[in-house]
Amino acid sequence: MWIERNTLAQEIPAISGLDTRQLCEMLASLGFPVDEVATREGGEVLDVDITANRGDAMSHRGIAREVAAKLHQPLMAIDALPVVEGKPAVEVRLESLACPIYSTAVLDLGSGATPQEAQSFLRAMESAPKRLPAVDASNELLHRYGHPTHAFDADRIHGAVSIRWAKDGELLVTLDGVKRTMTKRDLVIADESGPIALAGVMGGDGTKVTETTRRVLLESAWFDPKTVRATARRHSLHTDASHRFGRGADPAMARVARDLLVGRLASWCGAKLSGAWTAGSTPAVGASVTLDEAVLTRVAGESLSMPDAADALERLGCAVEIAKGRIKVIPPTWRHDLSSPEDLAEEVLRLRGYEHIPSVLPPLEGPPEPLSPAYLQRQRLSRRLAHLGFHQTVSYGFISPEADAAFTSPDNSTEGRCLANPLGQEFSVMRGSLLPSLLAAAEQNLRRGSREVRLFELAPTFVSGPQGPSEHISLGLVWGGMLGGEDYLSPARPVREADLSGIAKDLGWDRLPEIRSLGENLFGFEIPISELPQAADRIIPAFRPFSRYPAVERDLSLLVDLDQPYQVLADTMKSSLPSEALQDLRCVDVFRHKSLPEGRQAWLMRMRFQVDRTLVGEEIDGWVGAALAAAESLGASLRA
Amino acid sequence: MDHLLPPDIVEAGHSFPAELAACGDLDALLRLKGAYVGREGSHAARLMELLKLAPKEQKRDLGAAINALKQQWEEGLKSRQFEIETKKKNRKALAASWDPSLPPPVPAQGALNPLNRLMDRLVEVFRPLGFHVEEGPEIETEAHNFDGLNIPEDHPAKASSDTFYLAAHPDLLLRTHTSPVQVRTLLRVAQDLGIRGGVRFLSPGRVYRKDEIDPTHSPMFHQVEGMLVGHGIGMQHLKGTLEYALRALFGPHTEIRLRPSYFPFVEPGCEVDVSCPLCAARGCRVCKGSGWVEILGAGLIHPKVLEYAGIDPVEWSGWAFGMGVERMAMMLSQTPDLRLFFENDQRFLKAMGGLD
Repeated sequence: MWIERNTLAQEIPAISGLDTRQLCEMLASLGFPVDEVATREGGEVLDVDITANRGDAMSHRGIAREVAAKLHQPLMAIDALPVVEGKPAVEVRLESLACPIYSTAVLDLGSGATPQEAQSFLRAMESAPKRLPAVDASNELLHRYGHPTHAFDADRIHGAVSIRWAKDGELLVTLDGVKRTMTKRDLVIADESGPIALAGVMGGDGTKVTETTRRVLLESAWFDPKTVRATARRHSLHTDASHRFGRGADPAMARVARDLLVGRLASWCGAKLSGAWTAGSTPAVGASVTLDEAVLTRVAGESLSMPDAADALERLGCAVEIAKGRIKVIPPTWRHDLSSPEDLAEEVLRLRGYEHIPSVLPPLEGPPEPLSPAYLQRQRLSRRLAHLGFHQTVSYGFISPEADAAFTSPDNSTEGRCLANPLGQEFSVMRGSLLPSLLAAAEQNLRRGSREVRLFELAPTFVSGPQGPSEHISLGLVWGGMLGGEDYLSPARPVREADLSGIAKDLGWDRLPEIRSLGENLFGFEIPISELPQAADRIIPAFRPFSRYPAVERDLSLLVDLDQPYQVLADTMKSSLPSEALQDLRCVDVFRHKSLPEGRQAWLMRMRFQVDRTLVGEEIDGWVGAALAAAESLGASLRA
Repeated sequence: MDHLLPPDIVEAGHSFPAELAACGDLDALLRLKGAYVGREGSHAARLMELLKLAPKEQKRDLGAAINALKQQWEEGLKSRQFEIETKKKNRKALAASWDPSLPPPVPAQGALNPLNRLMDRLVEVFRPLGFHVEEGPEIETEAHNFDGLNIPEDHPAKASSDTFYLAAHPDLLLRTHTSPVQVRTLLRVAQDLGIRGGVRFLSPGRVYRKDEIDPTHSPMFHQVEGMLVGHGIGMQHLKGTLEYALRALFGPHTEIRLRPSYFPFVEPGCEVDVSCPLCAARGCRVCKGSGWVEILGAGLIHPKVLEYAGIDPVEWSGWAFGMGVERMAMMLSQTPDLRLFFENDQRFLKAMGGLD
């Protein structure tokens, strides 16, 4: 909120000695950082940030109280002449506990306008003066003292006024011209014809003060914060008044603000009081809170003087008793946020300055915990993939239903993963797959001129279930474009499915991965990382002896059918060979050419044998013959 | 003696050096050799015929002249052959040579995401103090996201204008901070907190808030929160830990500043500023000339948060902090637009994330 420096100085003259930078630093050290300093109406205004718990500080008076407490300096008295109360001119009925006090007055307005000084103050507050003294005075008081008040056109009120719960469906046109339908949880001010204001939020249009208004009924009350917050939210109507009542106004200010308003209208436009009275009474003061020396010492990190602590709380307006190492406090009527010993300790530290808090490393009370295997696995995977040339992406967890449906299994219900209030349809489903996001990123990179795109993401995917979606961390990877061709040794070629299989294998995926074709030379796969190997329990695995004799390699060039599944052939050949001697068997070249018999291709199969003795030629010839025979049983033949 | 020799041979003798020099390879040299000193039909062979037929008194002089010529030719051919062979050898060596300034094949280089790198760095910084990592789901209950954190029933953050809810499960939401991990962890360890000797952990992760996408807002972003529970923990321990951690992150001369602030789940609460790491607190655009940058929010855990988890707030106390990862990454890198972190452009990732 905006604080005008000169007006603040009227509340706490001691700030005159501070330059603006010092003032801003002091406010920040008290918990009220200044976002901006501007010059308006010939004076400096400060944009002060006020936290949600400090409704009491939302005024010049409120900020001045803090500064006065910090500086050990007196605050100026509020210059309000108490109005003599009498018989109610209009009957006011308090019908709900949400409004314990309602101070009011009826005035006959004279001629005269809002003084220039008040108008320029309002403009400095970014609140346009209405040039209606009753309205401007109420606004001026709000910024100055933080207590919202309201003026009704008394001649437009019918009969008695009651502060009551609205009836469901009751209507009210508020000052902003919007017709609002009330519920029974809205507190309203009503006359005998119906609601005339939303209590603590906004007045009604039908009873508003205009140029023709001759008589005003003033309202200065206290409304229950929760009720005001709920009504403001229900009607999406957040006003200066609702912010202050919603955070808790000062009930003791109800009468004072009424008196101030009467005084201003008398001096601004010669208004004549025709009656003032108060319905209800100031609610009981808050419960006492006790601060033990032990709590203060623990929070502060060192032993502080209890009398000094008591003095600090007293400067903040608390009623303080100190006995047997304890401070018993009754918070002031404007502070609704002081309810626990920790709250009081904070106040003591705050006034003292957080810069005095010592700096100490907390002692270790027990053994530290290791990082979890799942966390370490993700660290390892992402580093491995980055070293393999892939870029780690981060994308939103929600995507469009169409993009999701293209990759998510149909038995993973979309409805179970939909948001009730998404930012838009394209962000409405918690994704069942990482591939839609990766595909979009890959296409964008290729469109922007990348020759090759290599991306991966490690993030949760969501699976619908009766109790809500469950989350499974997946690894998604896409690879596309052209490989190589960037130097004199690496020929250029398009990315192939097999390249991605190789990556999956490198990460320890021991099954055939499902490689999805996502576009021209663009492929992807997705693996639940719970199925990838985690760090082994043993730091170093058990020793397994290995042969010191040389290995022998033999190649077999086989003609096989074009539709021969490789794994079947490899498994058949392996099963014909002694497992203790066969170290490896794999296809090292695939040759497809029109010179070969139609429907056939050539596979170069390489076998590597090693045992714990010198191998003899005949023995190996025998094994190779057996492997060939096994291959022939599947229709393969030796290539001439 | 030249008058004794046939004129065409004398002529050939004169042109020999030029012809020799014109031989570019061994084949041409062999042809020249054949023409001058070959067994048959060469200049030398003709001279030998001439010598046979020469009158006796001329033989001596003629012989000497012929020998001189032959010797000159043979030596010339031999040295030229050596020259040509050497050149060939050199060329072969050159062909096998490697020019180290040619662009070599470079293994493909990927990159970690800058946000992950920053979170990893924070974990590294806190590891020596005994912190481990706790994680939790992104879809949370209201109880874990709000109630367990002393956030009142009618807090505006709970509104559907601020928080995403699931359509089919109105009680479930996308967590708005990583603090529900604190609630889950405290609930889990409450029973054996004494045996453990308190608990201390970080919770990095993704969180969601209903903000429209613009250069400074994103509906999804990352947070790292830290929490410590022990005996007699106060503000001094929060300050000590953060001073250590922020110095480890930004350098040993870093200063920190605590300012009072408010969050429902801590009491006392504070904002923490760090002396501007970009200008060494001399004042720059990033710190708006103040020399300080707001880096995180923190405080002592509210007794109600401990009570909710079943931990006695008289015996135990602790601190917690939370920081926005993107905000810090933007500040450190001076990236002008938050959206760049979610566009996943390889050029951005390579430049900002890199490898360890």
